[in-house]
This record gives sequence, structure tokens and C-alpha cells, in this order.
Amino acid sequence: MLGLVSLSSNVTRRNFLKTSAAAGAGLVLPFHLSAKRFAHATCGSSASNSFSPSAWLELSTTGDVKIWCGKSEMGQGVFTALPMIVAEELSCDWRRVQVVQADLDEKFGDQLTGGSGSVRTSYDSLRKAGAAARELLLGAASVRWNVARSECHAENGFIVHTATQRKLTYEQLLDAASALQPQANPGLKIPSEFVLVGKPTRRTDTKLKITGAAKFGLDTRLPGMLIASVERSPVYGGTPLGFNAHEVKSAPHVRDVFELESAHLTHQFGETSGPGSRNYSCAGVAVVADSTWAAVQARKLLKVEWNEPPSASESTLIIRERMHHNASEPGSVIRSDGDFDKAYAAAAKKIEAVYELPFLAHATMEPGNCTAHFHDGSCELWAPTQIPGAAAESVASALGIPRERVKVHVTFIGGGFGRRLIQDYAVEAALISRSAGAPVQVVWSREDDLRHDFYRPAACHILQAGLDEQGRLSSWRHRGSSPSIETFYNGTGISPGAAAQVDSLDFPALFIPNFRLEFSVAECGMPLGYWRSVDASGNQFVLSSFFDEAAQAAGRDAVEFLLAAFGPARKIPVGNGETLDVGRRRKVVELAAEKSAWHKSLTAGRGRGIAVAFGWGSYVAQVAEVTWDAKNGNLRIDRVVCAVDCGTAINPLGVQAQMEGAINFGLAQALKSAVTISAGRVEQSNFNDYEVLRLSDAPPVIEVHIVPSSERPGGCGEVGVPAAAPAVANATFAATGKRIRRLPIRAADLLSG
Amino acid sequence: MAISFTLNGKSQSVDVSPDMPLLWVLRDTLNMTGTKFGCGMALCGACTVHINGEATRSCITPISSVAGKKVTTIEGLSADGSHPVQQAWMEEDVPQCGYCQSGQIMSAVALLSKKPNPTDADIDDAMSGNICRCGTYQRIRKAIHPWQLFPL
Repeated sequence: MLGLVSLSSNVTRRNFLKTSAAAGAGLVLPFHLSAKRFAHATCGSSASNSFSPSAWLELSTTGDVKIWCGKSEMGQGVFTALPMIVAEELSCDWRRVQVVQADLDEKFGDQLTGGSGSVRTSYDSLRKAGAAARELLLGAASVRWNVARSECHAENGFIVHTATQRKLTYEQLLDAASALQPQANPGLKIPSEFVLVGKPTRRTDTKLKITGAAKFGLDTRLPGMLIASVERSPVYGGTPLGFNAHEVKSAPHVRDVFELESAHLTHQFGETSGPGSRNYSCAGVAVVADSTWAAVQARKLLKVEWNEPPSASESTLIIRERMHHNASEPGSVIRSDGDFDKAYAAAAKKIEAVYELPFLAHATMEPGNCTAHFHDGSCELWAPTQIPGAAAESVASALGIPRERVKVHVTFIGGGFGRRLIQDYAVEAALISRSAGAPVQVVWSREDDLRHDFYRPAACHILQAGLDEQGRLSSWRHRGSSPSIETFYNGTGISPGAAAQVDSLDFPALFIPNFRLEFSVAECGMPLGYWRSVDASGNQFVLSSFFDEAAQAAGRDAVEFLLAAFGPARKIPVGNGETLDVGRRRKVVELAAEKSAWHKSLTAGRGRGIAVAFGWGSYVAQVAEVTWDAKNGNLRIDRVVCAVDCGTAINPLGVQAQMEGAINFGLAQALKSAVTISAGRVEQSNFNDYEVLRLSDAPPVIEVHIVPSSERPGGCGEVGVPAAAPAVANATFAATGKRIRRLPIRAADLLSG
Repeated sequence: MAISFTLNGKSQSVDVSPDMPLLWVLRDTLNMTGTKFGCGMALCGACTVHINGEATRSCITPISSVAGKKVTTIEGLSADGSHPVQQAWMEEDVPQCGYCQSGQIMSAVALLSKKPNPTDADIDDAMSGNICRCGTYQRIRKAIHPWQLFPL
């Protein structure tokens, strides 16, 4: 499904996010060139007691090794996995590695953290950086010993003369190594030589995070720093007409109150915003005070009259009806194989269903924030951002200064999930700092966060499928409608394929002879964004659920029906030289079935369900086990078993954590979360009405089984999310006989006749 | 008017508005940022500290109510992460983004100091007020459960 290749020639951001892994090699180019150039430019000692053979690492005479992390650490474990890749090729002592967060700097190449791409897009360049340094040390040792380089090897911080077992530490070789020229294409290890990559390794940032020492964006403290709280237009796109500035300014510890204009935001996914792009920060009124509490209290006094856009008349009901209407009629054809109409007319058995999904908020634990200091025509940012480059560009554009005059320090991020791909908080902080003439931290409340998100779009999908006499899926039509993330960012001029919130390669496409996929954009005023796993988060609920309905209609076991649809292990060309690996898909399904004891029967009121997700270069199958307590109207998730093939697992412990976290994130969608709209306004305000998964809701057991592989690394941040909700929905059907066709699952849906 | 209390074993005095929540006194007045802001309404647990040993949401606790009491924050648990609960968190590799973990650990320590060998239901009760969006709940359970192995 996701992420193999885009059939559209228009490389949209969504497709970038989804396909970057498969694309792998192409996307690492800037990274690689930059690292190489830096290596030549700075070869030598940056300080007398250290040696930086590239931007990525610094060896010190004390034996310590610093490795820079060019991506943002937001929980996904780049602070561990990325340095492991460097350290593997460097063959240094992992215990001596210190990880340093890279600020925004072109020498680190593309610093975008998203699209499950950190490992995939960094793998080659980080290996080369480690290997180039190792080769310099080998070269220095071979000169010292007057032996051939091939007689030496690197091992855990030593260069060893293999025959005699003579050893030199890296620190003993720094001076000599720094006089040598690094190779552009150093020899890399073969996977069987890996000692660190593939070894379950604890995170490098845990101690900071259990002691309260880790510095998130909100923990930035600067001398003379003021705090800003912003009242934003309750309807996206609105502007303030007037407000009681005088009254609020006279509140205790308030420094200033002023209008904050909307500013265009930049994103960096290789496309430009066209006419109709709505990617901007919210206009509002900023309250600047000495402390957070003073700012929050003063803001309560604020009375703002708003000029509201036409979307102020929108509601959940209106948007829902619009999507349902669209999905009931023909849309733009995204994919068509065979002849759906003919095959469906001839089908022995037919099924049809309507599926619905709500808007969702990211609800990161660290609310939106950024600290900015504008002075002397330059701006310095301390930003919890997934794209420091876009923060710099957005801020430069809003302030009207050159991008080079914006410096970005990347902090730890208290949850990203796609929210921090959007740079509104950075622009706010910069504009307010300029007006206030002081360093300013803009602090979003939880209410701000939930009401001014860029939301996962709601959707309606209407599907029909026909089974032939043998009970095989012979026809499948899927009509989807949803607001479009791509038109939100790129304007209405983009192609229907680019605007679609569905993917022409999502399973079961390619596996059903008469297949038709259509999509219609449902216009709406809501701001939209990338929510962990993007459109797959909702689409996979629809596809894996309806596929389960088809298995049910055919009277077949769901796993057996899935494997029968896949057919034998093979590689199917899907264009652009890419192939779809059926064997890897089969393997995760078989593994999840085996580990979950799929064929073992359960007692009454319990059920199992399976769902799949393929994308970002990885393959996932999940089996959920649920218990339905009809008496108390309580659905409990007992266990989720996850099989994942992510190619080479750099850090299996990290892969496991990503799957566990992704499943819990998907379960929140399954059981808890929905954003609703009234009068163009988001109705939810805090965790009392925007519910997320809590410990008591979480399954006691999540098992993660990783398929051993030496294939290229796949992405792990998102692929665990999409299957969780449909696995639970299918398990719920098995337990209750009730089919879940809208999320979140409501007890009332299970109790009703 | 100055308000005095004990913070991590040392006497502390602050001169702030009496209705300012303890959370913002810690973070803004004292620059102790280990205690986190998450919701401002005691709904997420990120701001959990101990007041006289009880797990308390500092975001809704006016500083005036803390006068004369003993406050412990994540920074006061240990200087170096050596507290047994922190060690259990290390062992299970619990944190992901880590933002909620100060609050999770403070809630867990309060639970374990009362019930060194908690049941699943005890853990549900004590820990369900602490939200983790990264989804580390299974590891939190595991880190709390073997507690009997590490007596306080």
C-alpha cells in the first residue's frame, strides 16, 4: 500500500512522506554530498585535543566519541539508532559515545524528521561517515607499524594488527589520522560483520528523561525572557476586528498586548504552494507578560471581536453529509483495473458498506511552544520542530529578513506525530519577540493545542465488493471522500491524483482483477495536517475492515482469505523500477497468525482480528484479541501481537518500542479520540473531552516479533499505527457479531440491536 | 508576600501571587523545568510532584496552599537517576519522547511507597491519570511490577 512508488508524476509532499524510503538512495544525496564536502573542508583538528573527520563525529584524545544527530529526537529513538550506524562502521566503543543534537546547519544535509525517514535517508551517509573515519585510523596505524593496511582491522576503539595482535587506541592515532585525506567512498562492512547494528540497545537519552534534565522546547530559559500567550481566531482564517487592549495591559506583570497577524508558512517537501494554499499561522492577539501564569491570567480578561470566514457556518454534520454525498457518486478515478461494473453485476455474492472517520488532533504531550530572540535584524530560535529548515524559512519570510539570519537550535520534542512539521509556533514566537523587543517564549495551552491543530482529515468511504462462485474476491470498488491535505498546502490547482487522500497501491489494489478506486475532495475550512501514518491511519481501518467483511461473506478464515488473495511469494513490478514483495507480506501475516495462536479457539465474548499495513519500506501484520463484557458495556483489549519486517532493524529494542507506541497510538484512534466542529469551531478543549489512551485502556500485552532481515532498513515510526484499529474492529466483530464501521468504537454501537 | 515551603529537602521562599500554581513557581520562578506542563487542569499528570508524600498535580495547586509543606520534584528524587524507580525505568528503557515521564515516575514512586507490591488494579488506579501519547504504558507496568525485587 503506502510507500512503494507514486504513480503520479507530481511528487507531492504526501507522496514524499510516504515514498521516501523506497526512494532511499535518491533522497540521501544532499546529505552525502554535504558530509563529503565537510570532510574535506575540515579535515584536521577542530581543537587541539580532538579530530573531526566529518560533520558527524569528533574523536577526542580522552577516548570519547561525539556523534551528532541530524534529526529531531521526538521519542522515536534517532538519538540511539542514528549514532549506532556511525559507531558500527567506526568500530568504536559504544560506551564512549556521546550524542549531540545538531542545530540547523547545511552541513547536516536534510534535517527533516518525518515520513518515517530518519534511518532510511541517513543510513548510507552515516555509514560512510563512520567508515571514512575508521579508514583514516587504519591508514595511520599501518604507517605507524609500517605494514599493509589490509593487515589491520578496527575493533571496539582499537586498531589491531591482526597477525601480531598489536593494538593502538583511536586516541593514539588521532594526530596521524588527521593528516590523511578521507576517502569519498570508503569500504563498508557486510551485514555479517555488524556487532552493534542489529543488537538490542538501550536508548542514549533515558537518563536525561528520568531525571527531568532533558531540555524540551518549553524548558528553554533565557535571561530577560518574557512569556506570550496568544488568543487565536476560533475559526481558522479569521482576523481580530478589535479587542480591549487597554484593560488587559493594565493586568499585573503584563508587558504588552497586540495583534498578531497571520503569516504564510513554508514547508520543505519539494513542492511549492499554489493558488488557494491555506498554510498559514492563525491570526490573533498576543499577551506578553513576565511569567506564564501572568500571561494566562491576563488573557482571560481579553475580549476579541473576530472577522470570521465563511467556514464559521461549518459543522461536523455538514462536512459529514458533504463527504457522504461525494462518496455516493462517481469521483476522480485513481485506479481502475479490469471492469468493475461488469464483474460486480455478475458476482455470486455482493457486499456494500459505508465507513466513517473523524477529524483527529495530534495532542502531543508537550504543548506547542517556541522561544525566539529577535535582535539586530537576526532571529535565534529554540524550537521543538520536525523541520528546522522550514522554521527558519517561515520565520525569515514573516520577519522579512534573509534566511541566513535565522539560527535554529533544535530541542528535544515532547511528541511530534506530524504536528511539528508545521511551523506556526516558530513564526508566532519570532513576530512577538520583535514586537516585544525581548526574548519571548510563546506557550500554547492544551486548549490552544486542541483547537488550533492541523487536523487529520475526517473521511467517508463507500465500498462494494463481489465474490465469484468460488468465494474469491472478483470485484472491488472504493469511493472515498475527504478534505484534502494536499490542496490545503498546495492549492486547488493540483491534479486529482495528487489531491486524493487514498493511494493507488494500497492493498487490495493489484490483487483483485476488477478494481476501481475513486476519490472526491470534500472542501472544508479546517486546517489539515500530517498525523502519524497520514491517510493510512484511516484508510487502513476501512480497507482491512472491509476485507474482513469479504472474508466473512465468503465464509472463509480471515488469515486464509488474506493469504489466498496475496497468492504465492513473488515480486510484482509497480512501475519506476519498483516492485511489490508479496513474500514479505505473506511472512508477516503468517508470523502474526502463528505467534497469536490464530487458529486456537476463544471462549464466548472474546475474539481475534487481523489487519495489515505496508509502507515506508516496512511490512506489518497485527492480531488483536478482545473481550466484550456485554453486562458492563465494556470492550477490553487483551493482547496485540505484531509481526514487523522493517528490513535491517538497526536497534531491535527501538523497533519494538516504536511498534508498541504506534499500536497504543492507533488504539487511541480506535477507542477514544474524535474532533468535532460546531460553527466552524473545534468543540474539544482538553483531555476531558478529547480523550486519548490511558494506562487502564492499554492492553496488558503487546508482543512484537521482528522478521530477521538484511534488506535495506525500512521506516518504523508510522507503519505500526494503521493496523491497530482495524485489528481491534475485526476482533470486536468476532467477539460480538457487530461490525464497526466508524471510529472511535462506541459502546452504544455494540449494545444496539 | 513571601511563601515558604520545603523543596527537595531545602527551605525555599518565593514572593509571588498566592494563586500562582506550584507548577509555574517551579518552572518560571525557580527555573526547575523537570516538572512539566501538559494540560493545566489535572487531566494528564505531567506536572505530578509530591506534597507531603502525596502525588499531587502541581498545575492546579496554588502556591499559597503549599506553605509550610514538603514538596518533592523529579529533581529531588535523586541527583543522578539512582532512585530505584528511576533505575527500573532505565532497566525497562521506558521513555520515548520522555515529556510525561517525570510525572509518571513521581506517580509511581508515590504508589510504591504506599504499596510496594501493587496489583494490576492498583497500578491502573494510581497511573491512569498520567497520559503518555508515545504509548509506553506496557513498559511502565513492567517497570512498576518487579518492584518487590528492589526494596525501598
